[in-house]
Amino acid sequence: MNLFANAIHGIPLWWFLVLASALFCIGLYGVLGRKNAIAMLMGVELMLNAVNINLLAFWRYIAPNSATGTAFAAFIFVIAAAEAAVGLGLIISVYRSMQSIDPETLDQLKL
Amino acid sequence: MNFLTDLLSLIGDFISNIIHSIFSFSPSIADAIVMGLAAIILCTFAALSFMALTYAERKIVARIQDRVGPNQAGPLGLLQPLADGIKMFTKEDTTPAAADRWVYNLAPLIIAVFALTTYAVLPFAPNVVGTNLNVGVFYVIAIGSGSIIAILMAGWGSNNKYALLGAFRTVSQLVGYEVPMLLNVLPIIMISGSLSLIDIINRQTLANGNAGLPNLLYFPLSAVVFLISGIAETARSPFDLLEAESEIVAGFHVEYSGMKFALFFLGEYVNALAVAFMFCVLFLGGYAGPILPPYIWLLLKAAVVFTIFMWLRGTLPRIRVDQMHDMNWKFFVPVSIIHLLISMVLLKVFTDTPSQLEATGGILVSSGTRMLILFVASALTLLVALGIAARRARMNRLAEEEVLAKRRMENMAAAGA
Amino acid sequence: MTLQQLIFLGLAAVIVLAALFVVSTRNLFRAALMLVVSFFGIAGLYVLLDAGFFAVAQVLVYIGAISILIIFGVMLTRGMQGMEPRNTQAVGGAVVAAIIFGVLVLLLGPFHVTINNREFGNIAWNFAKDATGNAPAVADTYIASLGVALVDVNQFALPFELASVMILLVMIGAIWVARERKVAEVQADRRDILAEEREEEASIEAAKAGASSTGVPAVPAAPGLPETAIAHGAGGHGEH
Repeated sequence: MNLFANAIHGIPLWWFLVLASALFCIGLYGVLGRKNAIAMLMGVELMLNAVNINLLAFWRYIAPNSATGTAFAAFIFVIAAAEAAVGLGLIISVYRSMQSIDPETLDQLKL
Repeated sequence: MNFLTDLLSLIGDFISNIIHSIFSFSPSIADAIVMGLAAIILCTFAALSFMALTYAERKIVARIQDRVGPNQAGPLGLLQPLADGIKMFTKEDTTPAAADRWVYNLAPLIIAVFALTTYAVLPFAPNVVGTNLNVGVFYVIAIGSGSIIAILMAGWGSNNKYALLGAFRTVSQLVGYEVPMLLNVLPIIMISGSLSLIDIINRQTLANGNAGLPNLLYFPLSAVVFLISGIAETARSPFDLLEAESEIVAGFHVEYSGMKFALFFLGEYVNALAVAFMFCVLFLGGYAGPILPPYIWLLLKAAVVFTIFMWLRGTLPRIRVDQMHDMNWKFFVPVSIIHLLISMVLLKVFTDTPSQLEATGGILVSSGTRMLILFVASALTLLVALGIAARRARMNRLAEEEVLAKRRMENMAAAGA
Repeated sequence: MTLQQLIFLGLAAVIVLAALFVVSTRNLFRAALMLVVSFFGIAGLYVLLDAGFFAVAQVLVYIGAISILIIFGVMLTRGMQGMEPRNTQAVGGAVVAAIIFGVLVLLLGPFHVTINNREFGNIAWNFAKDATGNAPAVADTYIASLGVALVDVNQFALPFELASVMILLVMIGAIWVARERKVAEVQADRRDILAEEREEEASIEAAKAGASSTGVPAVPAAPGLPETAIAHGAGGHGEH
């Protein structure tokens, strides 16, 4: 089995996929295992970037003449920016009211 | 003329061939070495122009202020930049006690590096360009926004509340003025059909049946707003309240001295020159011009634009931070958006290429008429917007004076009674 | 080893190391800066993928806007730094992330694995091939076709319009949520929330006591009604 089959510039597709998976899982740990809401937001941004790498890699290797891959990646840029803005607005507001952004202590909505 | 413009490319090829044959590297490595040499030449050009610009600025601003300027160091003060350099080198390099060492030391480096990276896409002649990116304009703006992180690093790394506040305010100004900059580059991109800087310049030359008119004549409002946003982006006077000594000591670079401060200073001037070059490329036609070689034209135009910067610095008073934000969000952004809409519609309706006419329909006019229509629309928008802003400013001032006069009458009545 | 392979390996190392630093450090400002480094690495990766426009867009959007937002957030919530970075479920989170990484590498990797007569890995994507059987180059007009696709009614015009409406909503929402509120208002909010908590605890205990004494669960007082909360808040403030 040729590990370098279908390589563009010598880089096969699975290199990009494995890198994106690694970045996604690092971001996932950042979201699950951190005590600060802003650190969780950084994890989310890492995950969104991993997804973007995946999308653009697939676009390049499988359908470089179609606009679907690039359009999807552009929409993810937009959504990531919007979500970071809202998330930080919420975090700052919560910090002002509760003086704490540790998600473990913000449990007023729990049953 | 071709020999002069292609001189640098010929030299580059020559050196590459020599390296390839003497050291028998592969051609790509020889090319890479030549590109490295070209990068060093660009950086040296930027640094030398920084020295010349500091001298020119001090002399010109001094003359505007009815004094002579530096004239002690060497004949006519020509060695003043050298003296400044020696002073910066020999100053003590302080570091605040509890500063984050890595962050504090990296910030000026990053600003200087980002400022220099902008020169990689500037075309000095049709074949003399660092790299002809097909997203050239976008790249320049992205690099400008990337250098904002370094300002936050400088403010944070100084471990100083005033530096932090200054960094916040600087960042809010820079991020704010990116919006009108982007919005006003869009009409140029629309009419040129490409993001590449060389394509934009080609559209302003007489090649390929283009009209050869600079974009300034098509979109004067864009040119004016881009110029003002460019001045605000580099935090030059009159937008330099963030490093004014009477306002916030020195803003985010209060804790820097010696060579690091010199790097900030270099970053600011190199950035300003880059904005001048961009204005020339986008609106004045870059290296296009009849008789002289192309790079001389570009340098001449950039010198004229930079003289306008220095003129504004010597003449206008400093703008307050709330006035600056008002002007940006309440005047520049709405005007830029309206101008963008108007030019979009006019560009589509009035075309001068028959092929586009078949494709999308519209009215066929000659290039000159099209330019005239766009110029009139743009200039009208600018004048109407200025008129509205002036009227509102006058009404505000009259209202303030009314309030003041009323208060004075009350005081007098109270004192009398 | 071609030059692009070396560049890819270097960029991948930078990205992964910077990301690991982001999720494990205590100093939030350094984490934000390492996030910026990671984003730069990803921009370099996009250049390798012949998508130069997206590389520049990554620098402009992520580094020029989102990272600045995050650094502002870090600076405005400064009381919360210097703490232990891991929370109580960090170990579980790490295990879950490792498992998911393993599964993804199994599914997407180049190694063909057969488990229980099911085959994983080495998926035969239908790669694009031009006439000679090699990978086609990206046309120079990919930016133009992206632009056309975003306004073409048959392609992506609707998501484009929805995205612009969403950004407008996000702007308004973020400004409203993070607006400057007077100190008294914030303190009243806080008092209301704490008073509601006290109400709930009291009613739960009353229900337990009622159930144990009469065998019939008493109806707890409705918590969270604004009038009761304000009354208790005012009462609490009066006792203060």
